[in-house]
Amino acid sequence: MTATLAPARPAAAAGRARFAALAAREMRRFVLNPVFLAAAGLAAYELWSGQRGTVTEIDGPNTVAAVCFGGFGMLAAFWLTRSMRASEPVVGVTPTTLPVRTAALCAVAIVPFGCGCLALLAFLHSHPVGDPVYGAFSPPARIAVLVGQIVVPSLGGPLLGVALGRSVRFPGAPFVLFLLLSGWMILVTALTQARPDSAPVAVLRLFAPFALFTLHSDAGVTAWRGSPWFFLGWQLALCAIAVLVALLRGAEGPVRARIIRALGIAGAAAVIMLMLAGTGGFTHAVTT
Amino acid sequence: MVTASISLRDVGRTFGATRALAGVSLDLKHGVTGLLGPNGAGKTTLLRLLATALPPSQGKVSVLGLDPEVPAERTGIRRQLGYQPQETGFPRGFTAFAFVDYIALLKEWTEPAARHAEVRRVLDLVGLSGLGAKRIRAMSGGQRRRVALAQALLGAPPVLILDEPTTGVDPEQRVTLRTVLAEIARTSVVVLSTHQTEDVAALCERVIVLDRGRVRYDGPVTDLTGQAAGRVWLADQPDPAATVSWRTGTGRYRNVGARVRDGVEHVEPSLEDAYLLLRGGSAEHEPAAEAAS
Repeated sequence: MTATLAPARPAAAAGRARFAALAAREMRRFVLNPVFLAAAGLAAYELWSGQRGTVTEIDGPNTVAAVCFGGFGMLAAFWLTRSMRASEPVVGVTPTTLPVRTAALCAVAIVPFGCGCLALLAFLHSHPVGDPVYGAFSPPARIAVLVGQIVVPSLGGPLLGVALGRSVRFPGAPFVLFLLLSGWMILVTALTQARPDSAPVAVLRLFAPFALFTLHSDAGVTAWRGSPWFFLGWQLALCAIAVLVALLRGAEGPVRARIIRALGIAGAAAVIMLMLAGTGGFTHAVTT
Repeated sequence: MVTASISLRDVGRTFGATRALAGVSLDLKHGVTGLLGPNGAGKTTLLRLLATALPPSQGKVSVLGLDPEVPAERTGIRRQLGYQPQETGFPRGFTAFAFVDYIALLKEWTEPAARHAEVRRVLDLVGLSGLGAKRIRAMSGGQRRRVALAQALLGAPPVLILDEPTTGVDPEQRVTLRTVLAEIARTSVVVLSTHQTEDVAALCERVIVLDRGRVRYDGPVTDLTGQAAGRVWLADQPDPAATVSWRTGTGRYRNVGARVRDGVEHVEPSLEDAYLLLRGGSAEHEPAAEAAS
C-alpha cells in the first residue's frame, strides 16, 4: 500500500462538462453493446445487399433499418439503463442526480440517430427520390416518408428504451413492447389494405412510432392516405414524450413541475400531429 | 483541523407499520464512530439516513451544516460523502477499475488523467491495485467488498459512511483498512456499522449501540468496556450467575454476568463482553425491525 491518503478533490464540475463526460461514457457503453453492434452489422449488410437487388417498394428495406437501429437500439438502451440498477445504493448518493444520469443515457440516441442518417443517405444513393417505388408522393414528401421510416425510429427506439428502463422492472419489457408494436403494425396494415380510403383507419395506421405509406401490388405502387410531414411531427412528439417520461423519474421540485408541464405540451402536440397526419396528405389511396 | 459534523435531532424512520428508528439524537464529529447492535437494530437505516439515501420520517438531520431534505443542499452533501452500503451490486462485465472510474465520473471527476490517478490511488488503498483489470463478477466476496469500499474512499471525503466494511475481508486486509480509516478519520467523520466488535475496539474512539431503533449506549469505547470490569470470569463450568457464558478454546467457560463477582478468576473484559452485558446476553431481536433494517 503506497497510495497517499489526501488527494486533491475535484472542484464542483461545471454541469455541462460533467454531463458531456458522462454522456460520452454512456455512448461508448452503448456502442460496445453486442446487441447494437449486431444490429448495426445486419443493417449495413441489408443496405449493401439491397443496392444489388431489385426493390419494388420502399417499405421492405426501410423496415430493416427501423428494426435494427430502432428496435434493437431500444433493447440495447433498455439494458444500458438497467445495468446500474444493482449499484443504485452507491450510484444514487453521488452528486449526479438521476435526471442528469437519465439525460446522459438519452444522449446515446445520437449514435443510432447518426446511423439512421447514414442509412438514409445509403438508401437514397441506391434508390433516388425519382424512383417509381415511392408511389405518388411528391419528392419532398418522399424524403419525409424516408426520414419517418429510417431516421426518426432510429432516434426514438433508444429513447423509448431509456424511458422503459426507468419505468419498468420487467427485464423482458422491450421484447414485449417490440412484439406489441409489430403486431399492431401487421393489424393496421391489414386494416388499411381492406379500407384504404378510410380516415379513421389512416389515423389508426399512423398511431404507432413506425408506419407504412405505400404498398406494391400487380396494379402498381399505392400511396396511402396520411401526411408524412405531420407523421414526422407525431413521431418527434413521441420522442419528446419518451425523454420527458424518462427524466421524470427522480426529478424533484421545480424541475419536476417543468417536466410535467412539458409533458402536457408534448402530449397535446402529439394528439394534434396524429390527427393532422391522419387527415392530411392524399384524401384517398392513389395507385400509380 | 476540519471539524466536519453530523447532527441528528429526534430522528425517526418507519417503514409502513415497522418503526426502524425512534427518537435518535446524535452529534458526530471527526474521528471514527462505531455502530453496534443486533440485526434489526436500525443500524443500516441510520447509515442510509446519514448517506442521504433515505429521508427521515420525523426529526432533523444535518450533515456538514446542510439539510439533506433540500435538493441543492443534498447534492452539496453528496459532493463530500463516501458511502459503502451493506449490499452493493455491480453491473455485468465491469472491471474493478471501470466500476470505480464510473463512480468517480458521477462524483464529478471529469478530467480523465486526474480521475484515473484517483481511481488507482483508492484501489491501492484497499489492496486491489493489481486487480483493477479483473472483472468484478470473477472476484471473491471479500474483494468485492473492497471494490465497494474503494469507491467510497474516492476523494478522501469529509464524511465517510461504511456499512459493515470488513465483512468477508481477510485479517491482513482488515488491519490495513483500519490503518487507512484511522488516517482518514483525522480530518473526516467516519461512521461504520459492524458486527465485528474487535474492529470497533481497535479503531473507534466512540461507539453507539442501537437496539430496536433506539440509542442504548453512546460514549467512548473504553467506558463501555470498563462497565464490564469485574463482570467477566473464567470457570470450569457455565456459571448459573452469568448472563451469558460460552466454552472457549481452552475448554474453560467464559462467563459474563450483570453483577460483580468475587472469588472467581476475573479476566480483562473485551468490548464484546461489554456489548453482551449491555444487551443483557440477549441474542433475540424483533423480526419486524429486522425486516426494516
